[in-house]
Amino acid sequence: MREELLLEIFSEEIPARLQKKAMSDAIVTFSTIMDDYNVSYGSVESFVSPRRLTLLVNNLQQRTKTAVERKRGPSVSAGAKAINGFLKSSGKAKENLIEIDGYYYVDIETNPSEVRGLIGDMISDFIANMPWQKSMRWYLEDQKTLSSFWIRPIRSILCVYDGSPVDELIKSVGLRTCSYTYGHRFLAPRIIEVSDFDGYRNGLEAAHVMIDYAKKRDHIDMEMTKKAADLGLCVMYDDGLLDEVAGLVEYPFVHIGVINEQFMQLPPEVLSTSMKIHQKYFTMTYPDSVIAPFYGVVTNIPVTEVMSDGLNRVLRARLSDASFFYKEDLDVTLEAFAQRLSNVVFHEKLGSMAQKIDRMMSIASTKDEHRATALCKADLLTQMVGEFPELQGTIGGIYAGVQDESHELRIAIKEHYKPVNATDTIPSSLLGARISFFDKIDSLVGLLGVGIKPTGSKDPFALRRTAIGIVKLLCESDGNILDSETLSWYIDTLITAYLDQGVPLDANTGEVVKEFLTDRFRTFVIDGLEVSSCVVDAVINSFGDVSNLDYPAAINKSRKTHYLTTLDGFDVVRTAYKRAIGIIGDTRVNLSEGTDVQFRDTSMIVANDAVQALYAACLAANNSSSKRVVKEDEPNVADDEDFRSVAQAAGFILEVCDKVLINDPDPKVRLANARLLRKFAHVVRDRIGDLTYVTSPRAC
Amino acid sequence: MISFQDIIFRLQKFWDEHGCAILQPYDTEVGAGTSHYATTLKALDNQYWAAAFVQPCRRPKDGRYADNPNRTQYYYQFQVIIKPAPANPQELYLDSLKAVGFDMAAHDIRFVEDDWENPSLGAAGLGWEVWCDGMEITQYTYFQQVGGINCSIVPVEITYGLERIATFMQGVESHFDINWNGKEGDQKLTYGDVLLRFEREFSCYNFDAASIDILSKHFEDYEVECRRLLAHNLVMPAYEQCIKANHGFNLLDARGIISVTERAGYIARVRALAKSCCQAWVESL
Repeated sequence: MREELLLEIFSEEIPARLQKKAMSDAIVTFSTIMDDYNVSYGSVESFVSPRRLTLLVNNLQQRTKTAVERKRGPSVSAGAKAINGFLKSSGKAKENLIEIDGYYYVDIETNPSEVRGLIGDMISDFIANMPWQKSMRWYLEDQKTLSSFWIRPIRSILCVYDGSPVDELIKSVGLRTCSYTYGHRFLAPRIIEVSDFDGYRNGLEAAHVMIDYAKKRDHIDMEMTKKAADLGLCVMYDDGLLDEVAGLVEYPFVHIGVINEQFMQLPPEVLSTSMKIHQKYFTMTYPDSVIAPFYGVVTNIPVTEVMSDGLNRVLRARLSDASFFYKEDLDVTLEAFAQRLSNVVFHEKLGSMAQKIDRMMSIASTKDEHRATALCKADLLTQMVGEFPELQGTIGGIYAGVQDESHELRIAIKEHYKPVNATDTIPSSLLGARISFFDKIDSLVGLLGVGIKPTGSKDPFALRRTAIGIVKLLCESDGNILDSETLSWYIDTLITAYLDQGVPLDANTGEVVKEFLTDRFRTFVIDGLEVSSCVVDAVINSFGDVSNLDYPAAINKSRKTHYLTTLDGFDVVRTAYKRAIGIIGDTRVNLSEGTDVQFRDTSMIVANDAVQALYAACLAANNSSSKRVVKEDEPNVADDEDFRSVAQAAGFILEVCDKVLINDPDPKVRLANARLLRKFAHVVRDRIGDLTYVTSPRAC
Repeated sequence: MISFQDIIFRLQKFWDEHGCAILQPYDTEVGAGTSHYATTLKALDNQYWAAAFVQPCRRPKDGRYADNPNRTQYYYQFQVIIKPAPANPQELYLDSLKAVGFDMAAHDIRFVEDDWENPSLGAAGLGWEVWCDGMEITQYTYFQQVGGINCSIVPVEITYGLERIATFMQGVESHFDINWNGKEGDQKLTYGDVLLRFEREFSCYNFDAASIDILSKHFEDYEVECRRLLAHNLVMPAYEQCIKANHGFNLLDARGIISVTERAGYIARVRALAKSCCQAWVESL
């Protein structure tokens, strides 16, 4: 194709997990380089397979853009000799001089250069600047030096521009660009001559290489679903696994293998985790979701009989390992495992897991909670969790079931790590949610208490995720996570427990923890509910004690206020609120004095209807903070009506504030005025939020 | 059917034909062929180097009293180290599999990312585990660093798991069923005939019987001796003390008396020794 640049960096196998990102990074990196070289180009596309990263630039113009460079000359006051010398050296005439701030300048146009001649340098720059997460160097025998960094050794570089090959030495990797590539490593390892992208794609397709990542992924998905359906099975969908297996093959062949019946006694979670982690096999289920004795696998060449036997055999070896662990583990009770928790470090400054459990015990209240707390971390010492750390909790739950613990306890142990992030669900039972809360609040108090804080993108102890987990538990649980205590009580009790264990925590730990939680709550509402930051701040600051936030109430209110900002009249309320706050903040009136002063004494009784409306709004203000987060997206009709009366009152306030003197000379009138404004401000704060945080009508 | 020993013979022959010195195992306990000075120390100088050898490996914690068919505390690696890595190391490796008898048209060979790291030796590299029909049969690594020192010439290390390859090629399910000498009937010797009792008794030793006092004392002695020898600029004997200390730590670890904090401390001590040895080695070149 005319003015098409095709570049393929052919290397040893690129890790599957990095391929998707490499495609977008390659486009950004190469585009930046093309801009630096002042070339004009159209769209840029990228492709990837295990052994190649490919770029296609459309409409790459043959000549660079004309660039103009402004060159500074002598000062205007310089002699003719200096000026003539400047003109001569720049190849310009006197009429080309430009005068700016007492200096002469000339504009020098650089001549366009041939893009073909720049491609070699652009490729070198591309290799040098491609941001691999982890990369390596290899030895260049000819140059007696190490190569530039790349994900794995580069073996060949294909480059074709405008229909003909580019032949350039890329010194940093010791290779000359060429006009050919290679097919599938095993099925078609031949050389493929390429003159344009269509030829490249078709040539590779014929040589069993799929360079379109998304297409390859879809192909696997469809093939596996179809082959499973033929056997009456469903594939347990796994997005991450699908990405990974797609990145492991140049061409995907899908096969359904068999699990030996003897292993079907293993817990389904163990089966599917072992298959996924060790073998990258997909789990199959029957339509009723019961795990089936089959698996799905993607191979790089067609499956032969010996291969199919091999795939089954390696799974048998894996599962017999798992069975061995399972059998050994079941010889030991969870209590016995739990006794060894003193050998497991929670954190070097915060002692062992056994100490953590002791502290959690100090905030647990019921018998069930004590039992669940005592056993919840026992599985960390099982061989199964040693082998599959991702099954922590799950294994504890399974083993609790085997040793006949109650259903509630089993589920609580299984789910007590939830929610693991902002999008995860909370434990399904109150018991599980409470244990999760104990665990997380203990971690947060201890870690923050010894001065560990996340910085920028670094949060090695996952404090942010822990805090988000706590916020979610508080906001989303059906039951009352805090039971009859306050959040402060839990924090203080844990601080005491730490101190009793001889762990020195900072004196202000309690405050730091509460602030950290409030801050995470803010992020959680902004990101999770897509509520703007000023609305969240208005809501958070409308609560009396910001560090002791009623999270469920705050979240309901954020959602409601966010909705209210979209209504007509919101800006009137905002303006009136600010005005009212400005006035009461300014007044020297002691609002608690003069019990005999009535609203009717106010000089603001200009428009009686509006005062009535304000009254109604004030009276309707009942503190209806529900503990449970309202799930509905739209606030109910009552909210709308409420808001209309507040808006009406706000309009009235704006109107009269211009007309009357609020700080009336008569103390009685002055007090009545101030009280009315305060009542209004109170209603707005209570129902909507502290709107001084909302800076402009469009900020929300 | 190819015997266990024939796999070794063929690998030795293949790498002999490709210029490697065929060495014998290091005669002290190591956790991997990487610990052989022919890998670590030799990776750090500026000379051409190519060697291949079988290395028995000891990983005390992996013992299962011979009850587990695939996990043992003692097993064999076939180790290849070539420096600098040639221009076509993957092709050479695949050819070596063919030499052993793999049918490339019938088996799914894949290079699956696995960046190798050995914290005790301060060594790291990039590479893959090589899968054959889903089974890991080889670890393939381009060293970048040893003893915390960057490699000025990057070697390739290819480590074959001999039992894995043998179970695969012989179609058996257990290491102990591997036919060692290729004979049938009365003369057949299996892996189990050679190593079953060894595996059982060493599992007992590693997990239950080894004297913690003696092991702890040994660890201290190896550490002191390593430093003393370094002071005399005897790098290779010092390095040997370092890997003995490492094995001593592995035994203590298997005895289950090392807490997680202590564990990190032991690893740091071994790494400090390894680093000093590598440093001394580079300085003495």
